[in-house]
Parts: sequence; structure tokens; C-alpha cells
Amino acid sequence: MNGLEIDLIQVHNGELDRRPKITCAGELEVFSTLEDNLTEALPQENCEWRRTFGRPVRSVHIGATFLPYSLEALPKGNQWDLIRQPLFHIYFTDCMDVDVYKASVKEDIENWLKDLNAKDINDWLIVVVESFDGKRSNKLLPRTTVLDKIRADFAAKQGDRCISVINPNKTESRSADSWRGLVSRIRHLLLVAYGKAICRLEEHVRQQREKRNEPGWSFLKYFSLQEELAQVLEMLGLYDEALVQYDELDALFSQFVTNGITNESVSWLGTFQNPLERWHGLNLKQSKLPENASILELRAYIFAKQAHMLLLIHKVWEMASRCLPFLHNCTRELVILEISAPAGTVSCWLFLAAMEVLETCERFNHADEVEEYSLHTAALWEYASQKVKDLGKLCGLMPGGSPTSEQLHIVVGLSAGMGDSPGTPTNPSPTDKLKEALCSQEAFYKTYLELAELAMGTYKHIGRLRSARLVGREVASFYMLLGETQKAAAFLGDVLRTFEQDGWHELAAQTNLELAECFKQAQDTRKFISSCASVSAALEIDTLIRWTYFDEMCKCLNLLEEPLIVPFNNIIKIVSVSLTNDDPIMQDSNITAELVIESNFPKEVLCTNFMISIESDNKDNKKMMEKYCASRILTNRDMKQQDPVMQRLRIKKNLDFKQDKQLASAGVASKFTELRRKDSSPIQVQPGDFSHCLEVSKLPLVLTPGLNIMRLNKQANHIGKYYLGQIAIHIKSLHLVSPALSPKLAFEVKEEAPTLKLYKKAAPLLSGIEQVMNLILTIGSYPVDPEAKIKLIASPGLTMQIAPKAGLVSTLEIEAGKNVPFSSTRKPLRVLADMLTKEHQVTVHVPWTSKPIVVPLSFAPPLTAFWKLYTVLHRKFVQINITGQCEKDLIVNQAKLNVGGAMDIVEKNYASVQIISNGSTYSYIWELLVKSDMESTIKAEFSLVYKLENQDDVNKLYQYFFDITDFQTLYILDAAVEPAKETEFCRAGVVCRLNLTMENVALHLRAPDSTSIMYEVLAEQSVWAVCGRTAGVVSFEPAERLRIVALDVMPLASGHLPLPAVRISKYIPGETGSAVIFLLDILKKGDTHPRLEPFSPGQVYNKSKGKQLHVIVNSNEGV
Amino acid sequence: MAVCVGIIGKDNSPKFFTCLNPAEELNFQYKVLSALDVVEEKLNCGSKGATDLRELYLGMLYTLETHKIYGYVTNTKIKFIIVVDSTNMALRDNEIRSMFRKIHSEYADIVCNPFYIPGEPICSKSFTGSIKNIMTGTV
Repeated sequence: MNGLEIDLIQVHNGELDRRPKITCAGELEVFSTLEDNLTEALPQENCEWRRTFGRPVRSVHIGATFLPYSLEALPKGNQWDLIRQPLFHIYFTDCMDVDVYKASVKEDIENWLKDLNAKDINDWLIVVVESFDGKRSNKLLPRTTVLDKIRADFAAKQGDRCISVINPNKTESRSADSWRGLVSRIRHLLLVAYGKAICRLEEHVRQQREKRNEPGWSFLKYFSLQEELAQVLEMLGLYDEALVQYDELDALFSQFVTNGITNESVSWLGTFQNPLERWHGLNLKQSKLPENASILELRAYIFAKQAHMLLLIHKVWEMASRCLPFLHNCTRELVILEISAPAGTVSCWLFLAAMEVLETCERFNHADEVEEYSLHTAALWEYASQKVKDLGKLCGLMPGGSPTSEQLHIVVGLSAGMGDSPGTPTNPSPTDKLKEALCSQEAFYKTYLELAELAMGTYKHIGRLRSARLVGREVASFYMLLGETQKAAAFLGDVLRTFEQDGWHELAAQTNLELAECFKQAQDTRKFISSCASVSAALEIDTLIRWTYFDEMCKCLNLLEEPLIVPFNNIIKIVSVSLTNDDPIMQDSNITAELVIESNFPKEVLCTNFMISIESDNKDNKKMMEKYCASRILTNRDMKQQDPVMQRLRIKKNLDFKQDKQLASAGVASKFTELRRKDSSPIQVQPGDFSHCLEVSKLPLVLTPGLNIMRLNKQANHIGKYYLGQIAIHIKSLHLVSPALSPKLAFEVKEEAPTLKLYKKAAPLLSGIEQVMNLILTIGSYPVDPEAKIKLIASPGLTMQIAPKAGLVSTLEIEAGKNVPFSSTRKPLRVLADMLTKEHQVTVHVPWTSKPIVVPLSFAPPLTAFWKLYTVLHRKFVQINITGQCEKDLIVNQAKLNVGGAMDIVEKNYASVQIISNGSTYSYIWELLVKSDMESTIKAEFSLVYKLENQDDVNKLYQYFFDITDFQTLYILDAAVEPAKETEFCRAGVVCRLNLTMENVALHLRAPDSTSIMYEVLAEQSVWAVCGRTAGVVSFEPAERLRIVALDVMPLASGHLPLPAVRISKYIPGETGSAVIFLLDILKKGDTHPRLEPFSPGQVYNKSKGKQLHVIVNSNEGV
Repeated sequence: MAVCVGIIGKDNSPKFFTCLNPAEELNFQYKVLSALDVVEEKLNCGSKGATDLRELYLGMLYTLETHKIYGYVTNTKIKFIIVVDSTNMALRDNEIRSMFRKIHSEYADIVCNPFYIPGEPICSKSFTGSIKNIMTGTV
């Protein structure tokens, strides 16, 4: 064990032996054979130590030193310093014979015990050493042994105070057991005794502490007292508790210093206020508190002890962590106590102490140990580097100077005060190092830079980048003094980056200032200009300084040979960028953008150029992550990284169902995905491609401090999708370039293709007449080759022509003609469609697209006609109505009806020329002279010639074909209403008789079978009420000619009433006799229900149509 | 009595900074900045324990010869830093703690102000006044 070894070392040093003392009485020759074994065996195993005041049980190792018993050395039982006195007493005897025992040993023990009791000592043990030999085992056990006797005589109640042991020098198995028993008994009893002694000591320490405010109390005396307790605990292996004792002492002293300086009673503190004479380095390996110690020596001693304990409990890191507060505390106490010391001595001492701790740490180089203590040593390295720098300053060792004789004198004084603590040549002690560092400038530089480098390295290792950068800043200023500007610039650059990353603008500005100085010294014009620009734009810096740097920058700009690119950063802030065009931008129009920027330069600056680059927005290299600006304006708010904290959370409900569809849990979830890592590396600004850019028309332009509004424009030459890339401001050779604008402000430049459209005029197109349509060619954003051919192909039956005099053709080619963008030309196109088809189309082939344009055209005839058949008994008339459809009046002539000679026709028209205007109708009428033996269908053709009124055009023929079917009269209906009998008139409300006469007049025309007809009275319900049946079926016998049906009807109103209308229909009975027909019927209809078939209009003539009946008011009503 | 108070945002940039002696502000900024290292370290350690009810007060972050630097972190990772003169023995842990609590409540008030945009530097005069009062212990 590590602790044990150190213990033993101390034992050999002979000054710190805190092992309890044990006296031995009785037969010392017996004991002397055991002594070595016992001394060795006791601390080997641990033993539980139970303590008072409910403190936890600890397992400890206890050793002992043995002394021969002497009455004079016995302490009083209640002495406080029992710990230093013999506190356990053992009587050894090897008497095996009871008689011998009774004769001499008993009395001896009695005397020994009497002495002990007289001193109030209860911690004793009687050991009977037996020499075990083989022959005894054969004997019977003696009735009583010496041990029994002793136990009965002296330890009747405390059986454990007597023990026998078989002499372990004779190696036998039984002896080992009994030996172990003895050792553990001694350990136990010793610990009990020792525990009591410790209690006593603790009590005493407490009492002494209570007296600390009494005059005459001395800290140092108390210190040694409590330290004794600590040493005891340390001896027991309770290093943590020993540490507590030292910590208490440490705290007590601090308390005295901070509180007690004004207090009269702490006069002892005065001894610590003597001026410092020695500043020997802290030594953790061997610490000794010298006589009349200075405060630093006392402090160093306490810290060394604490460190010692911490190392024993393997807490290297805690030692390291305690070091810096300890050093700070010491400096503060020196100040409080107003201790005078030669300049630099304190720094010396602090440096040495820090280095000692660091070196001690370095001896422990387990990976996890290093990990643990690095957290604390980093600051210690920094501290050490600061201290050595302070010393360097004091002794004139800083770069750019040389020590004066006075300063050399200081060095000598400091070195003398440090004392000597030489290390090995390979491993010099801190004192050696410091002495060497103070000897020469080079050694000092080396020492300082080495320490700073270590501090930075350790800081970086433990992840304290900012602290590392701050050390770097110190180093940079050192390098500046050394004139190594390049190194200084590298460090400052790192510092600047860290500050900017964290957004500490003031510090960043300050660092820029330092950088500017650095570059100035290095005469690096380019970098100097860029840092000058940063400094002059830093609002945090004093305006006068900014002016100075701005002027310097302007001066240096003239020296620049090549352009210098400087990112916008804080120099120019983009407030907003907006495109003032509408989207999409037409080709060849101007793209105009308005840019609002804030210049942070302290003065006006003349810009030689001002551009916003335009980049093509290729779909191919588009990343998914790229954001686009939704509107046409991009403000600085858009450009700022959206703070995820400020975003509205999208909360969704979240329901989990069990397998049986029951709800298991319900909750809300947020799909908040903004937990992406932000790209922490600063955006590198590379000047993009400014070959296409928006420009300012008037150059140069003056950029004033604060807000500036710029208007930039550019003609859109090429179509495509673009976005605004970067902004560049050129101030002579200084090119300020913004980062790429994000989100992207995209716009589209479009071309407009030429279009060709065929429009008809407002009126509908008519066939058979030549009409004019408009062919409109609109040129888009680019001109069309004037000789390009536009081809129009008409569908069959349609002809057209564009040239005024040329004849109509079905395929036409036209040249596009001279044109300018965004113009349109109208060409009249004459078209003529024949009468036969209504739907036509024109297919247009244009040179700019391969897809033909199809224009459907719908032509209407100029006239429409319809015919109607009229019947008077057996006579038939055909009426033909024609309606003009043409916008213009039509002149019609030579109307003819041709029935193909099927019968004779008689024209009833006045043969003349008619003018038919749009929408008006003209009727022609012919009588058909019907013969009984005629076809039931006659094909008729109506024709006339027409021409447009105002044109000397040839007459065109209009034809109208129609069929006349079932025109022969089959039945003649007659109806008459008679008043009821005995009445003269028909009265409203009185039942009258309706006589319905149906005359079959077509007996000669057809087969005699289908003669059933059905009549229906369709009386208007408000006028007539039909009493009884309203319909019936009448069957004509083959030769039957006339049928009269009487029905009862009642007029509901008075006056001249039209007779009730009667309709007759063919009645086809449900069942017919013929099986074939029946079958056919089933096939056709699927049923055999009777059905009705209407007669065609010419087949029934109703005589009573238009007849009226005078119905007079009911006389009863009148009364 | 504190000599300097800093409020550092989530992104580690300073949102508010005040010193009793304005001439020393720059020096204090360096000190507070390096304290952020320790704050980050403590926060990272804390997250491993995953204790939701985290103690906001971080205790002393580090000491310098002349100053002691204390830290406090809100649940939204706003850091409050107090710098105390190390010769000032009157300020004990409890006083610092209560100072932080007062600053926290002042900060909560300013964040509630609809005219303050969270994340922007705080430039309210009344806020500065109250913080100064907290620093000097007049509240």
C-alpha cells in the first residue's frame, strides 16, 4: 500500500511516530522472542474501529511500538496527551506449572495490576505463552491450567483480558491459530485504548479552540496540537479525516486573518506580519514547518499537508483544484496583513508554488487522472505564465528592452530569496527554472511562451476554447512586442473568430483594432486595409479612432495594385433587397432592383462600382435545403437565421390504440425539427460571378453613413430562372462583397412566343356566302423571320384567300412579314363554306412550333326552313316556312315544291321576289291533291334561289328536303253538346250530353281488321266536368262507317265555351287471335297488355275544333 | 456588492452588460467571456444526470486574484454572470444566490415586455437601473 510505505518512511525518520506505545511486563525474554513478529503482524490486517458520538465505524490499520514496563512512565488515566504515553500494557508469562504460578507469578501480576489500577488504567492484557510439545498430548488434560488460574484470579469478569498463545516459533498448525487470536485480541484491545486516548485528545483540542479569543492563545501552539490529531488519524490510515483536521486549521487561520486583524486579542498574528525574507518554493515532497515561520511558510506547510493527504487518497485533481484558490488566498492575506516584501517576491513564490503543484500532477500520468486534473491545471498553467510575465516586466526582460542595473539587482535579490532546491539536471526544480528564466531574456521568452503554450493546449484539451483564446491574446501581444507580427496575427485571428462566433462585438472590435496595429507593423497593406475597414465600421469603438482608421484605409487604398476582397460583415448591412418588376420579367425588359443598405463607415465613401450579381438558377445543382424568398422583397429579417425559439409550435394530437382498437393513450406531439446543428463555421465569402449583374446607372456614387437606397437595373437578355447572388461595392480597389443572399430572391425572365389567331366577326358564320375572318398575328418578345411561312389548310368544302383579288383556295401560305416584338398585325381572310357541311376546320402550321393549330369553324346556312301539313276533311295542304339567318337581307325567288310526280300539287303562292331580313319568316303553301291509292310516304323537295341583297352576286340555290308520311285522313271526328232534355239551353252546372261522332272514312284504304280505336275526352278541368267515363274503346265492324257515343258532361262556367277536346288513338288489344303475332308481341314487348298508338297528324280530322258552345248562367244560381 | 453583471443569451452573445466602473468594462467582458467556458462545462455535465429540476445557480465558476465569478443559468439557457471583488468577504453564497434570483426576476419582466424582442440586446434604462440596484445591494 502506498500509504503504508510513506508511513514507514516517516517512522524511519523517527520524528513522526504516532504509533501507540505498549509496555511489556513479566518475562521479557519470552516477549523478546515475540516482539518482532508482533510489531510486524499488528498493522498487517485492518480492524474495525468503533467510535463515540455516533461517528461511522472505520476500518483502520494500527501499529505499535513496544516498551519495557516501568512504573515511572505510566501516565495518569485522565491526561489529555495520553496519546503520547504508553497506553496499553501486556504481561507476558510462560509459566506452565500451577504451583510455580502460585508461588511467584501470581504475586508479580498482582503488583503489576495494582500499579496500573493506581493510575486508573484499565487497558491491559495477560498473555500466557505455552510451549507446546508432543508429549503433553498423551497426558490427560490437567484439571486446571495456569491460564485458568490467572483468569480466575484477575479477570473473572473480563475473560478477554487473558489469553494464551502457543509459542509461534515452533511452527505447528495449532500455533498459527492461537497466534492469530493473540494478534487480533491485541489489535482490538489496543484500539479500544487508543480510541479513548484520541477522544481525550479531541476533547483537549476542542477546549483549546474555545480559548482562541483569549489573550495569550497562540495559533502555532494550537496548530501543533491539532496537527497531532491529524497525524494520529493519518497513522490509522484515515487520510480523509486527517485532511479534515488540516482543512479546519486552514479555515481557522483564514478566519483570523480576515476577521482578527482588528482584534487586540490576536496579538500572535503580529509575528506573521514581519516583512518577508524568504520565498522558498513550495515543496510537496518534504515539508517542514520552520521555526518562526512566515505566513507563506505556514501556508505552504498546510497546503503541502493537505496535498499529501489528497495524494494518499488518490485525489490528484482535488490537489490541483485547491491550488489556485490557495494561491489567491495567500496573496490576499499578504495584502490584508500588510506584509511588506521586496517587489516580485510574491510573484516568485506564487510561480514556484504553481509550478510545484503542476509538476506533482505530471507525476500522475494515468489517462483518467490527467483528464481529471487537466480541468484545473489549465488555469494553473495560465496563472504561472502570468506570474512569470509579471516578473519579466519587473526585471526588464520583456521584448524591446534590456534590464537596467537596478532590475538586475532585483533579479539577484529574488534569486537569493528563493533559496536552493536543486533538482536533477534532467528534471530541474521549479526554483531552478525560475532562476534560469530570470537570468536572460531568451530564457525568459522561452519559459513564458512554453507556459502559455501549455496553458492554451490544456485549455483546448478540456474544451475551454474561449479561455485558450484569451491566453492566445496575451501571447499575441507578447509576439507583437517581439516583432513577430505573423504569429501575433495568427493568434489574434483566432481570437477574433471566437469573439465573432459568440457575438461579442465589442471585444471583436477591440481585437480588430489590435489586428490593424499588427498588420500596420507588419506593413501588410492588404490585411491592414481590411482590418481598418472593420475597425472604422465598428460602432463600439470611439468615433475619433474610427475616423483615424478610415483615413488610413483611404490612404492605403491608393497603394493597392490588385483588388482586395473584403466581406460585408458589419461594414455594410443589407436592410432590404427588392425586385420592383412584376414576375415574370419579359425578355428585353429591364430588371430593376431596389437595395437598401446601411453603411457603417464613419464618413462618406465614394463607390466606383455597385453591383448585384445575377446567378442562373439551375435545377440540376439545386439542393433540397435551399430556401427561396416567397415575396419580391428580401428584408434583413428574412436573412436573419430564424430563431427556433420564436417559432410557433405545430402541435398535433397523437392517439395510440390498442390491438382491440381501444384508446391506449392520448397525447400531443410537436414535429419540431429545428434541432439541426447550426453551421458554426463562419460563412466564407468568395466573390461570385459578377459577369451578369444589376448595376447602378450613375457612377461613381457616394455612400453616406447610415441608410442608403440604391436602384440597380439590367436588361433581361436571356430567358431562364435566376436569383440574386451577391452584392459587391467597389471602392477603388477595395471590393466589399456580401455573402450570397439567402433565402434566394428568385425571378424568371420569360420570352413570349408569337401567336396566330383566327377570329370570326361577331355574326355567326354562314355557309354558302363569302365572309371575312380576321387572322391576327401577335409577335411576342422576339421577332419572327419575315420570310417564315404560315400555312393554312382548310377542311374539304371550305376555301379561303387572303389576297384581295385572288381566287379562293383550300391551302394557303402566307409570309409572316416584317415584324417587331410585341406588335400584332391583322389580316382579313375571306372564307367560303359550301352548304353541305356545317362543321369545318382550318389547320394552321406556324414556323415557330411544330404543333399545328386547329381552328374549328362552325357554319350555319343562311336560311332555315320547316314544313307543316294541314288537313281539311280529305284535303291536304303543305306549308313551308323559311327564316332568314343572315345579317344581311336575302333576296329569295323561285320557290318550288317538287313531290316527284307522286301527285298533283297546286301552288297557292304569289310568285314574286321576297326580301327576307334576319329572323323574319316567310311562308309558302301548296295543296296536295290526294288520291286514295297513294304511297303512304312522299319525298318532297323545296327549293328557292337567293342572293344577298346588296351584292351583284349570282343566285344561289337553297334546297330543303322532307318526307310527307301517313297523310291520308282516316277518321273524322265530330262532337256536339246538347242541353239536357226539356231544356232549351246549356246551363252552367247542369249536366249536358256530349255526342261524339266518329266516322271511319278510310274503309277503302286499308285492311278491315285494325278498327279498334280509343277515344278520350280531354276536358279542361276548370271548364268542363265529365260525368261518368271519359274514355272508351270503339270497334268498327269491317263495314261499319259511323259511331256515335254519348257522354255526360257538365259545363262549369258560363259563356262561350270551347267544346271539350277529344283525342282518338289506335287501340291494339292485349290478346290477338293469331299465335304468330302473339309470339312476335311477346318477343317485341314482353307482355300482352293492350296499348295505344297515336295517329299521325294527317290521319284524324276533327270537325269540332274551334267550335264553341254558349252556356248560360244557371237560373238557380241567379236566384 | 457586485462589480459587474452580465446577461448572456442562448447563443453566448452578450445581451446586457454593466459594471460599476464603466472604464473597466472591457476587462470584465474578457473575464465573463471565459466564464462561459465553465458554464458550458457545467451544463454539459448536468445534462448527463438528466435531472429536470436542475439547480439554476451554478455557484462559483472560477476565481481570479482579484475577482470571483459566479454563474446562473435559466432553463432557457440564458446565463447570468456576476463578478465580485474577491476582497469583499461580506458576500456569501446565499447573497449571491439571492442576487441571481432578483436578476432572474428582472429578466423575466423585461422578456414579458412586448416591446422587447427576445434575443436582442437589452437597452432598457429602467432595467439597467434595477440591475445596478441589485448590484449595489440597495434593493
